[in-house]
Amino acid sequence: MEETIKSFLTQDHRDCDEEFANMENAVASQDWAKSEESFEKFAKDLQTHFDMEEKVMFPVFEEITGMTNGPTQVMRMEHAQMLNVVSQMREDIAKQDKNHFFGLSESLMMLTQQHNMKEEQMLYAMADAHIQEQKSSVIEKMKELKRVN
Amino acid sequence: MFNQGLSLDQAPPISVPFRFFLTAPIFAMLIGVMFLIYPAELITNRFSSETIAMVHMFTLGVLSMIIFGAMQQMMPVLAGAPIKRAKLFATVVHTFLTLGTIFFVLKFLYYQNEFLIAAIVCLAISFLTFFITAIRLLFKVKYVTSTVNVMKLFAIAGVLTALLGLHLAGAHLSGNMGSNYLSFVNIHILLGIFGFAALLIIGVSFQVIPMFYVALDFPKSVQNRLPLSIFLLIISYFAFAFLDLNFYIYKVLFAIFFVIYAFHGLNSLNNRRRPVSDVTLWYWKVSLYSLVIAMLNWLFVPQDSSYFLTILFAFGFLFSLLQGMVYKIIPFLCWFHLSSKGYFDIPTIKEIIHEDLIKIHFYIYMASYVFFLLYGFFSQIFITIAAILFILSNILFFINCVLGMRKYASISKKEPLQTFVQS
Repeated sequence: MEETIKSFLTQDHRDCDEEFANMENAVASQDWAKSEESFEKFAKDLQTHFDMEEKVMFPVFEEITGMTNGPTQVMRMEHAQMLNVVSQMREDIAKQDKNHFFGLSESLMMLTQQHNMKEEQMLYAMADAHIQEQKSSVIEKMKELKRVN
Repeated sequence: MFNQGLSLDQAPPISVPFRFFLTAPIFAMLIGVMFLIYPAELITNRFSSETIAMVHMFTLGVLSMIIFGAMQQMMPVLAGAPIKRAKLFATVVHTFLTLGTIFFVLKFLYYQNEFLIAAIVCLAISFLTFFITAIRLLFKVKYVTSTVNVMKLFAIAGVLTALLGLHLAGAHLSGNMGSNYLSFVNIHILLGIFGFAALLIIGVSFQVIPMFYVALDFPKSVQNRLPLSIFLLIISYFAFAFLDLNFYIYKVLFAIFFVIYAFHGLNSLNNRRRPVSDVTLWYWKVSLYSLVIAMLNWLFVPQDSSYFLTILFAFGFLFSLLQGMVYKIIPFLCWFHLSSKGYFDIPTIKEIIHEDLIKIHFYIYMASYVFFLLYGFFSQIFITIAAILFILSNILFFINCVLGMRKYASISKKEPLQTFVQS
């Protein structure tokens, strides 16, 4: 099946979820060196995902649809909110505070999944519908960003 | 349409879902009281007025109450479909649902037709307001997913249940039951429990289990076909009833559909990637295992006068899951609203309602569930113990919800240290 913006970015959501679960498993086992390593891997993957959207896909979407204050703006706000939680989780790993970490990771999970549902069900479908001709170049640029990160 | 959902200025105010969640445990406590007051043989006889009153206290005052509250929160996210004038909408739906439930119960306890007229008016306003709005929004969704499809079926099942209920209430009022009265009662029950309540849970779990636990997806064939099959089977009750077909086949099909769902749900949960093992997960498991046992009991224990089926399905499958859901939603919303308003030093999701208190509630509730089941084998004393535990568990449910909300309220009274969301 042809790769779409939706299929590519949805898969990237799942990959980030996988890293998220690895990080939680590391913290659950209280192996703090491993926790730090998997946390950084997750944080980097998450940032890359946001970059692929905010630096590549969103600008094209906004240009084509003319919606600069619409869905993409809401998504940016939510990205910022998620990154805020991620930075607090980094502190918990440094302090080796497992309980507080899991309180935050639960919040991040709820936040992320609601965000993902909206992207996967609406924004990506809208993007595929609007970004017709540039679709393959947008996907290619996102992949490129992923490779260099 | 899209700009609804998570962002604070667009999400419904926190009071919208919370009023529903706080009311449900109160009705549940009253259910426990009814089990204590009335003799066991009377309150477990599905045809007695007291049982009709109690069952509706549960289906209207507890089930519909939690489902309506949760739906107003979930719709914007799951279906991208916001509800306009959320506070007014919630006030209408909640007030009339509460009053309608009370009047309905009073009618069947005190036999006054005025109560039934009041109940009909209140429940019609509440249900029709909710479902007409839900159906209008859901059928406008442009990019349809399996969950949206199930939610459409849920809404149709809900409105049909309500209309049939109104029809039955009218029959009670006029005293003219008609020859098809029992068939209408049965399809009203099937639509309400298997359609309205179970379909919503199934639809939500397609999305929630894989995403929130990082677990296996339900197979696409199950996601796409199972809910519609269940819905069509409910509707085909008419054919079975009027053509006098063998009902055992009907039961077998239902059991197969629900067991397929429960199997995939449990398989997914048991193979989840996240290491979490919180109370919500326990509720999920109790719920899905209860569903399987309920179906097996339905098929293979013909002498059950539907007591076991009711307890397993209502308290085991439905109410367990809804409690778990409320314990996920309340802490998250408290945290989310505070975090989005820019409060910095706030409790985490696990500190809003203390996990130990939720666990105590869970254990007491489970004990009451077990005693309810034991009554089926033994004597009255078991149902008395079950009822006391049920009341206790719901008092704790109420207290836990209040504690969470009070924590939210006490923090939100202060000034945020920093405005986090720059819009």
